[in-house]
Amino acid sequence: MNTASPKMLQCSDMTVLERQNACLKWQQEQLQQQQQQEQQSYFSELSGVFSSQVQGFQGGLVSGDSVLGDMVMTRQVKPDPGLETAWHEMEKVDMAAMGFGPCGYSNGPDFDMNYAISRTSSCPTFVAAAVAAQAVEVKGKESIVSEKMGSTVGRGSFKKRKVDTLQNSKVVAEDDSKRIKACAEEGESKITGPNTNKSSSSNNKNKKETSTGTSKENSKVSDVQKPDYIHVRARRGQATDSHSLAERVRREKISERMKYLQDLVPGCNKITGKAGMLDEIINYVQSLQRQVEFLSMKLAAVNPRPDFNIDNLFAKDVFPSCATNFPAVGMSSEMANNPPYVQFNPVEQVVSSCGLEMGINSLDMALRRTISAPVSIPYASFLDSSCFTQIQPSATWDVELQNLYNVAFDQEGSMPFPSQPFTGTLLEKQNWGPELI
Amino acid sequence: MRPPSSLRQEFLKKWMMGLQRYSTSKKNMSILERKKAIKLSADVAIASARNGTTCWSRALIANGYSKDGGDDKHLVEQILGPESERLIMKKVLTGGASVCNKRMRSKKILKRSCGIQRTRKFAPQVALASSIAKRLVRKRTQILRSLIPGGEFMNDVTLIEETLDYIISLRAQVDVMRSLASASELASEP
Repeated sequence: MNTASPKMLQCSDMTVLERQNACLKWQQEQLQQQQQQEQQSYFSELSGVFSSQVQGFQGGLVSGDSVLGDMVMTRQVKPDPGLETAWHEMEKVDMAAMGFGPCGYSNGPDFDMNYAISRTSSCPTFVAAAVAAQAVEVKGKESIVSEKMGSTVGRGSFKKRKVDTLQNSKVVAEDDSKRIKACAEEGESKITGPNTNKSSSSNNKNKKETSTGTSKENSKVSDVQKPDYIHVRARRGQATDSHSLAERVRREKISERMKYLQDLVPGCNKITGKAGMLDEIINYVQSLQRQVEFLSMKLAAVNPRPDFNIDNLFAKDVFPSCATNFPAVGMSSEMANNPPYVQFNPVEQVVSSCGLEMGINSLDMALRRTISAPVSIPYASFLDSSCFTQIQPSATWDVELQNLYNVAFDQEGSMPFPSQPFTGTLLEKQNWGPELI
Repeated sequence: MRPPSSLRQEFLKKWMMGLQRYSTSKKNMSILERKKAIKLSADVAIASARNGTTCWSRALIANGYSKDGGDDKHLVEQILGPESERLIMKKVLTGGASVCNKRMRSKKILKRSCGIQRTRKFAPQVALASSIAKRLVRKRTQILRSLIPGGEFMNDVTLIEETLDYIISLRAQVDVMRSLASASELASEP
């Protein structure tokens, strides 16, 4: 490549003088820049140049070359984070000005940063490689514009080679050599497009576009390549044949699921070891199944009929609000036909509210017990039990019943689980719907 | 995945619908019959609330469908209502898996017999601990398999996944049933 670029320097066109001027100017500028340590202001100025997009040949060339110079400098002073952010800023402006704005650069700042870093590391060699490939392919075509363009880039990269003694890592070089073909083609297509318009500013823009385009494509390719394979790595001493790898993937999957289960099952996260965890899980599932048995038995014992009157119980009070709040059930007609099953009188109200208080206590205890188990999964909300704890025994039975029903069906989803005061103060905070207040 | 509240609502809705359907067909029954009906309808409701996307729900419906012959079959059809054809069709598919399971089991027996020979061959100190741990895990996995409906047909990864889903659904079921039980208990207390 280094031999190719001086050659290209020689076979330049009429604007040699101009370019040499620009080159001199650029060299001066670079000297100044290397003396300057205030890179931020420079970058902002540069971004201003980029965004304006109305630039003469000189300015354009200077800015275009200074892209490469910046690459060099960013390579040299890589650990400086402020510089990188500045580069990142400039790149953003650059992209926006070039019309690459909506092309998927609206990701997180992390990605942009990474991209900027990777670009600073891989772009210059890449451009040089693309230029070399162009030099090979363009020979036949003898396109003056592209050659000139290539020469500017080549000179830039040549300078870079001189200044930047950092070794290009082998991997990057290989990577680039792989992608040279496509990028050279892309560059050519971009060059041959504005060939008719030989104004030098457009050429410069073109050059910048190719550089940004190629680097963009570079990053794009690496982005696309990522999700193609599942990343399986064998550590030192582990087997690498496909069966062992598959087995390891399977085991990792299982252990990941087991972690979720560990979060889900209360009291399971203190236990290490798969057998103990499985024990806990088995116990938990068994206890849940037994609870279902027990509860169905209880329901059967309490209710003399299999549809256990809960509809009747609620249908008495809540039917007007049920029709509005709970239309999806589709049993409103049946509920309307059912006669009210239980009639309450004020004497019963006291008893039932006492019973409700007891229920609150037991439920509250149950709730605390279940809360004390560390539960990090949002499925574990105990809203149904908490709806009972909200009911104040001082309220009238009708309101209580309606609240109960409303909470069970309406507010079940929208209540935040943690940090609820379980003392009935929530009653004022909740909006009970217009018909209840 | 859906939030748990919607799962609960769905479950309650289906349960109520199933119980309504069931109670219209049968009027007078003993407490055990009632208990069985409630349990079965709750199971079928929680399974159909999952909409047949998981193995355990399909297996639960299939179990209820084919457990005790005609009576329960009738019941499940009644509880499921219009969805019964779709969900029970899936049961036929799972029925095909039992053949595979038999084959798998015979393979397992073969492997076990081979494994015994191998453990005898190896040195006892190192291999013993790991084989004991493996055996413990395998035993517990078998127990878990028997607990999760349809767990006999699953491999380990799906077993764990289905256990996750099943636990979530069971929790929702228990919550709804508990709240209903306490409410109805309070209502019928006086």
